[in-house]
Amino acid sequence: MNRREPNKRISERALTVWKLYGWINVAVVGILAAAVITLSVIFDWPGWIIAAAAAIPVVVCLLSVFVLPVIKWKRWRYEVREEEIELQHGIFIVKRTLVPMVRVQHVDTEQGPILRKYQLATISISTAATLHQIPALDIEEADSLRDSISALARVAKDDV
Amino acid sequence: MSEEKRLHPISTVINFVKQLKEAVIPLVVLLFLNRRGQETFFDYLPLIGMGIFLLVILVSGILKWWRFTYRLEEGELRIEYGLFVKKKRYIPFERIQSLNYSEGIFHRPLKLVKIKVETAGSSSSLESEAELTAITKEEANYLNSVIAKAKKRIKETNEVLLEEGTERADGFQAEVEPEEKVLYKMTIKDLIIMATTSGGAGVVISGVLIFLSQFNELIPFEAVMNEFVEVIQSGLLLVAIAVFLVLLVAWFIAVILTFIRYAEFTVKLIDNDLVITRGLLEKKQTTIPLNRIQGIRFNQNILREPFNYTSVTIESAGGSVLEKDSNTIRLLPMIRAVEAVPILKQVLPDYQWETDFIGAPKRSIFRYMFWNLLFITIAIVPVSYFFFPAGLFSLLLYPLVIGLSWLQYKSAGYCLSEDQLTVRFRVFDKQTVYMKKKRIQSLELRETIFQRRGKVATLSAVIKSYSTGSVNSVSHLDVEDVEKVMEWYEPEGQRSQRESSQTHNELNLE
Repeated sequence: MNRREPNKRISERALTVWKLYGWINVAVVGILAAAVITLSVIFDWPGWIIAAAAAIPVVVCLLSVFVLPVIKWKRWRYEVREEEIELQHGIFIVKRTLVPMVRVQHVDTEQGPILRKYQLATISISTAATLHQIPALDIEEADSLRDSISALARVAKDDV
Repeated sequence: MSEEKRLHPISTVINFVKQLKEAVIPLVVLLFLNRRGQETFFDYLPLIGMGIFLLVILVSGILKWWRFTYRLEEGELRIEYGLFVKKKRYIPFERIQSLNYSEGIFHRPLKLVKIKVETAGSSSSLESEAELTAITKEEANYLNSVIAKAKKRIKETNEVLLEEGTERADGFQAEVEPEEKVLYKMTIKDLIIMATTSGGAGVVISGVLIFLSQFNELIPFEAVMNEFVEVIQSGLLLVAIAVFLVLLVAWFIAVILTFIRYAEFTVKLIDNDLVITRGLLEKKQTTIPLNRIQGIRFNQNILREPFNYTSVTIESAGGSVLEKDSNTIRLLPMIRAVEAVPILKQVLPDYQWETDFIGAPKRSIFRYMFWNLLFITIAIVPVSYFFFPAGLFSLLLYPLVIGLSWLQYKSAGYCLSEDQLTVRFRVFDKQTVYMKKKRIQSLELRETIFQRRGKVATLSAVIKSYSTGSVNSVSHLDVEDVEKVMEWYEPEGQRSQRESSQTHNELNLE
């Protein structure tokens, strides 16, 4: 009896955004590596340091631009049903989370400059004790989801 | 009653001492700065500065006391305070969860109490908390009864609006006068056992060692070592006696510390509130409304386990964020598991205490072992390498870790009833957590790539505990079991709908 996956995927533009984040990562690591290489040329450090400093950005590039975002995107699923929200995410550890609607206390959408450029938004679902986020949803999708969740979430009279 | 009231004047002294405690380090530094001979005016400056500083905090303490007033008015506790800017804090009675009493050394001779007003733990809980540093006991009881009466009235008018099953005893409470029932009193024997097994003695010993190591340079260790060798030659017996004495003293200190904190530990059930009182020098009283209880945790450390002793703590929502040591409330700090259950049955009759755990499958033993052994190897290899001959002793950790992993495997389990999930797991201590379905905030199934291959998964449930959550995870359960729990957790009625929606997936969203 294998549990059915949640049926919705997040926006495909999320992949673009994550790759962009990956490139930013690469840029930072690249600058550091360049600094190390310069220093080791000036001070005559052993050759393997130069090799390592050159190799690390390449590995980071491969992982954080080409491999991880794709896995992350493929894994990310969500489903908002009348009485619960189900999420699935995680690269090495796959997490399946169930949040009943009656536990939801409030929903927010938020958008940084990069997300805004791609018309995406992150939706945060808070319960009394936990915070769950669905990253990089299409802005319209996020807005309608936020509204429908807050309409569906009737916090039960039980104390939290 | 709308007249303004002040706290007892002793609160100026209490505030002064409290401020002094916070300022103790700069004061000591000042004192040391002043160690040179006093010749010119400037050498006296630190002393003068200190005097002014003390004067300032004393005066500000008095002013603060003078400016702090409270009154009960229009169903609210109204507090006004502030030195230059007058601040007003109005707390409606129905927001007040409980009044917690405590009595310090200053309070007791004057028959005073300190009162902490606990409110529902929303995000603004820090804002709405209040503390009355020192008022008389009669005054405190009066406050308590006024608030209780007001809350009852509000409840009655709201009765119609209440949803079903909110509080079982609502009707009951409205009619009957407060009923007091002592549930548990801790015996001295239990206190001593608690001190012995708490690891407190170990903490004391290491504290003494750290203290001694500060005097590294003062104590001629070489001479001591030489003497030590002589002592050993003169007889192992002496060494043994010395070690025994150190242990005895440490144990004794641990017992005394435990006594100070937990003496006269009593649990009472008053109406729908649990009231816990404890403490020798400083008496503390904690009140927990029953309907704030989110879950119950049994915690057995390895020393206590063979004797089947356990400590029972309450995970409760809301309450004081400011109080540091109250992260979890110890309901029964030290009790045999079999004795705990009858007491808990009186407090929370709707919980199911008899549990039949479904453990992790046999194939998980390997997983528990593997990760622990991997971590320990990462620690052992460098230690053995860099401290070559002596470092090899770290290899002795292997059997210990294997033993622990085995215990972790044996402890893992869950138990499901109609409205309750009970999980049991171990890091070092064995923990059993009883959670009602309606108290679980979210549930998670986690699997790594390796776990997926082995058809096992980790189950993790979050309940609210104070302003945050407490996460309770059981690793490497059979994936089908975890899925069963997930299905159990999904709100009723959805299940059938889901099966039919399998064909047209987008059904529920629009």
